[in-house]
Amino acid sequence: MNDMSWTPLGPPQPQPQPVPPPMPVAFSGNRKDFFHLIVRGAGLELVTVGFYRFWLATDIRRHLWSNTLVDGDGAEYTGRGKELLIGFLVALAILVPVYLAYFLAGLEAEHVKAFASLPLVAFFYVFGQFAIYRARRYRLTRTVWRGVRFWMSGSGWIYALQASLWGLLVLVTLGLALPWREAALERYKMRHSYYGDLQGSFEGSGWEFFKRAWWLWLLTPFALYLMIFAPFVYGAYKAIEWRWWLSGIRFGEVRLESTLRRSALIGLYWKVIGWITLLGVVFLGYLLLCTFLVASIDGSSIETFFKTEAFAKSIPLLALLVIGYLAFALSLNVVMRVYLLRDLWIRVLSSTIVHNLEAAANVTARGELANALGEGFADGLDVAGF
Amino acid sequence: MTLEDDATGAVRPSQEATAIYFDGTSSRRHIVALRLGETLEIGEDGATLARWSYADIRRADSPSGILRLSCLAAPSLARLEVRDARLAADLVARCFHLEDNLPNRKGVAAIVGWSLAAAVSIVLVVLFGVPRAAERLTPLMPDSFERRLGDVADAQVKVIFDAKHCSNAAGQVAFEKLVGALRRSAGLDNAVQSAVLATSVPNAFALPGGKVYLFNGLLAKAENPDEIAGVLAHELGHVRHRDSMRELIHNGGTSFLIGLLFGDITGSGALIFASRTLVTSSYSRDAETNADSFAIETMHRLGRPAKPMGELMLRVTGKEGGKGLSLVSSHPLTEDRLARMGNADGGSAITGAPLLSAAEWQALKGICGAGKV
Repeated sequence: MNDMSWTPLGPPQPQPQPVPPPMPVAFSGNRKDFFHLIVRGAGLELVTVGFYRFWLATDIRRHLWSNTLVDGDGAEYTGRGKELLIGFLVALAILVPVYLAYFLAGLEAEHVKAFASLPLVAFFYVFGQFAIYRARRYRLTRTVWRGVRFWMSGSGWIYALQASLWGLLVLVTLGLALPWREAALERYKMRHSYYGDLQGSFEGSGWEFFKRAWWLWLLTPFALYLMIFAPFVYGAYKAIEWRWWLSGIRFGEVRLESTLRRSALIGLYWKVIGWITLLGVVFLGYLLLCTFLVASIDGSSIETFFKTEAFAKSIPLLALLVIGYLAFALSLNVVMRVYLLRDLWIRVLSSTIVHNLEAAANVTARGELANALGEGFADGLDVAGF
Repeated sequence: MTLEDDATGAVRPSQEATAIYFDGTSSRRHIVALRLGETLEIGEDGATLARWSYADIRRADSPSGILRLSCLAAPSLARLEVRDARLAADLVARCFHLEDNLPNRKGVAAIVGWSLAAAVSIVLVVLFGVPRAAERLTPLMPDSFERRLGDVADAQVKVIFDAKHCSNAAGQVAFEKLVGALRRSAGLDNAVQSAVLATSVPNAFALPGGKVYLFNGLLAKAENPDEIAGVLAHELGHVRHRDSMRELIHNGGTSFLIGLLFGDITGSGALIFASRTLVTSSYSRDAETNADSFAIETMHRLGRPAKPMGELMLRVTGKEGGKGLSLVSSHPLTEDRLARMGNADGGSAITGAPLLSAAEWQALKGICGAGKV
């Protein structure tokens, strides 16, 4: 055999079987690589006064997507930071007149009755839901597996209307209607999602979700009263939601299933709380140190420093506080992204099984790319997801 | 396949190996043979599926350990995946533009550079553009709009201080007399009613349209009508100069632009609040100085001194000088203001009659009634 040739090294082709085995989903990424990516991104966010967020979000998605392996083949995220920036700028151009109109309408409403403008906030809720739908569409059309992209049809406004009406119902029923809201919205989203020419659907029902999570609804008042219970309740809720959601996803004949345990995410939330507490203590110590330092340089005792409110006017102190605050906020971001993006992603993935993947073995590519306007709105309205 | 090619010798022996190929039109997984000749030939079962020229080949994101390639001339999602390290290294060596469309160091430098340029331009606009725009736009705003703003604020004040209107009749008459005299002197609309509110905060404010609110806390600290009159004249000065309109435009523009930087358009974050305070306070110090000038003129037109106002302010705030820098303070130092008013009074004699009689002054002091504060 020629020295310059290779023998086939691809994975052995599975023989056609009557009942194909379920496929686990794997993750091949290195935690250290992700940590470096996040820390570097946080530093660049600081240097670019926040503008780097578009590229950081893109890099995070690229890392998570491309290391997610289904049947041995990694997915790919083809979005770019520049698209997000353009989406943000266009969204800005639309949001500014909207904000002005909102201000004037609020003024008119206030003229009729004091604080009558508060319901106008509802408008931004609807707008936020629209943004969520359109941002999902952007992300989905940038998701590629085996050379075929996912895509989405449907109307962002119809979704926003549904989401808002359901939201109202959830409010009226004190949260009891939440499972049915999620099921209805997920049905709409999945019905309009495609992998090539394979149409998606959602088979989870609100009743099923309710059966699994109703006891959390009863515990919520206690969790709100005694904050120590909150991470348990929220962690269990998220785990049940993930499992229910994944198990309901279909693309044609392809079926997803999740075996995520109820307790699987609680540890993650406690780790984040631990880190936040630690960072908070460090930040507090820094604050005290700065105050004493500046006061002693100023020559006044701590007591007079506070009594005369001179501390609020000292420029060196203010500068030190801003630097400390920035460092605090950025390290918080790193902690949240490592635990609540990457680690959560992996825990959820490792519980996921794909059934009947053969149905997606020869899917014809279809679907157009969607623009990043939705992501821009989501960024501007602070409803961004991933 | 390799063996067959070598055996027949029909094709000049070159590099050939297998990889996985997705053609971008379907999700079918092709196990292909690669031939690294003049161009990269991708073949399956002897048939050539595609020919990629090395210059067009780009790297695509992939799981660690796999080289994933795309080609500019091929369908945009066509992918070639090479899992063998030696073959991957060989391919990488042949494709000179492999990394061209991946984000790199140069790209990051460009992002940083442009971001800093954008930040500098936003800061410049905040420092120089917004105050100028507020200055130019304020006269263009119709009076009716400004009155409307005043009405809206008034409606909110009424809700917040619902039960706290002081309603002693004699006190109200004295208060209206004092405010009326000031408004006439300042040339302002005299139709709106003003009120004293029963809170212990020593403050006073005027709404667009000329409605004046005085807090009982300030009244309690005052020793004569001139002190209160000076403060009210100062507040009317803000109305006369349309400072709230200007501040609205100025604050709105500044919040929006600073919010642009940090990615929160509504401008509500802590950092935005902090930096906005720094920027707007210097601006509002100018407005305060102008309102002081207005108060001095108004008082002098009535033949009354301006200095008592400064004395009242000093009684309320205490000495302020020498306590750190006053960069974030929204008002000029009280000592400086008192000195300025004293100097202004030096030139003119007190010729006017007292604004309130002793009895009226007592009625005003007791406007909130006993035990209500």
